[in-house]
Amino acid sequence: MVCALGIEGSANKIGIGIIRDGKVLANVRRTYITPPGEGFLPKETAKHHREAILGLVKSSLKEAQLKPSDLDVICYTKGPGMAPPLLVGAIVARTLSLLWDIPLLGVNHCIGHIEMGRLITGAQNPIVLYVSGGNTQVIAYSNKRYRIFGETIDIAVGNCLDRFARIIKLSNDPSPGYNIEQLAKSSNRYIKLPYVVKGMDVSFSGILSYIEDLAEPGKRQNKRKRPQEEEVNNYSQADLCYSLQETIFAMLVEITERAMAHCGSNEVLIVGGVGCNERLQEMMRIMCEERGGKLFATDERYCIDNGLMIAHAGAEMFRSGTRMPFEEAFVTQRFRTDEVLVSWRDD
Amino acid sequence: MMSQIANKPNESIIRVPFATPRLAEIAYKVVSVDQEPRRNFVKKTLSLENDVLVVHFQADQVKSLRTAITSFFECLLLLQDTINQFGDSKEDKLITESIDNAGTHSGSDSA
Repeated sequence: MVCALGIEGSANKIGIGIIRDGKVLANVRRTYITPPGEGFLPKETAKHHREAILGLVKSSLKEAQLKPSDLDVICYTKGPGMAPPLLVGAIVARTLSLLWDIPLLGVNHCIGHIEMGRLITGAQNPIVLYVSGGNTQVIAYSNKRYRIFGETIDIAVGNCLDRFARIIKLSNDPSPGYNIEQLAKSSNRYIKLPYVVKGMDVSFSGILSYIEDLAEPGKRQNKRKRPQEEEVNNYSQADLCYSLQETIFAMLVEITERAMAHCGSNEVLIVGGVGCNERLQEMMRIMCEERGGKLFATDERYCIDNGLMIAHAGAEMFRSGTRMPFEEAFVTQRFRTDEVLVSWRDD
Repeated sequence: MMSQIANKPNESIIRVPFATPRLAEIAYKVVSVDQEPRRNFVKKTLSLENDVLVVHFQADQVKSLRTAITSFFECLLLLQDTINQFGDSKEDKLITESIDNAGTHSGSDSA
């Protein structure tokens, strides 16, 4: 029986979760929301997290009806992510670990998403599509590693969406991706955009530049002059949102399908913040059903970064005997999914 | 790293007292984990004097000294807040009091 507290703060969300033997006891979170047109910067995000984290630790313990001595392990996100906000979680995790005399465990953020998705959906051995503001990966499990089959070669899919939302000044509340999704529902006019799949990998930065030109004609005219007739278009924001979603999600469905075919798998699990987009889930479900497969997805409580996923992945690691010396409780901006030995799976 | 710092470095010594030697030792362990960024050319030496945490910074440039001290203080303040709110194992009890959720530009959800 493992009872774990998890602290996640790798991007603009700060979350604390408590889990005991796969049972959710608490999952609280706060999001740093910037004004429309602005992204979140490391320093300001860290400041937001510093102000919120201790209150969240208290709320989570209260919600779980636990005292500190009921915990077996404290888990925090070791990486990947932005260093200053990551460090906020790490400092509090280290301090609590020593104050309460409870072991400390650093968890890979991507592994947290995968294990949380498996726990909530019950998917056994799925192809995992991990899509968020910082990561875009197609992952399959083999021989004690989560192996990356395909990934983005430049920016993450969520970053592409977030930046497009900034260009057209959509609100960041509750999230830019959510607002794009809602706006896209009011259009079905497809504008042809570049479609960039390279083998198993995808690229989004060129699509972003292209659609930026369509959204704000003439703004980048010094860089690459387009023919005059294209300078004026009557594309609405909804048309652009719709077309952007359709194009980039189709790319993701394509590489996921290829990974399924290669691995002979008939399960797909979508995790990460973009994973709660219902249009992406719908497109993926159609592909899965055509192949006789099944789609597993979760809602925003577990898709979007949360402390619970760190608690759960940490609990699995702890249960299988993983321990971490205190001196190794640092954070690292780069930490690939396939660096972690998956000691808790026997298949 | 020391070899990269000039003979006449800019220095700063910060002495931070804690309520008990145990808390000072916790603080020492917590801040010991993080290395200074390599290209910063700052040498940070930590030591304990009973209930006082002593931090000695040496840097080539005043600017890098300031950067190192600023980020150290950010960690230190968070650490002290954590100790104040959760320290001294007397706090090992169920939390029942109401929690004030401060913080601007923040969206909250009970996920």
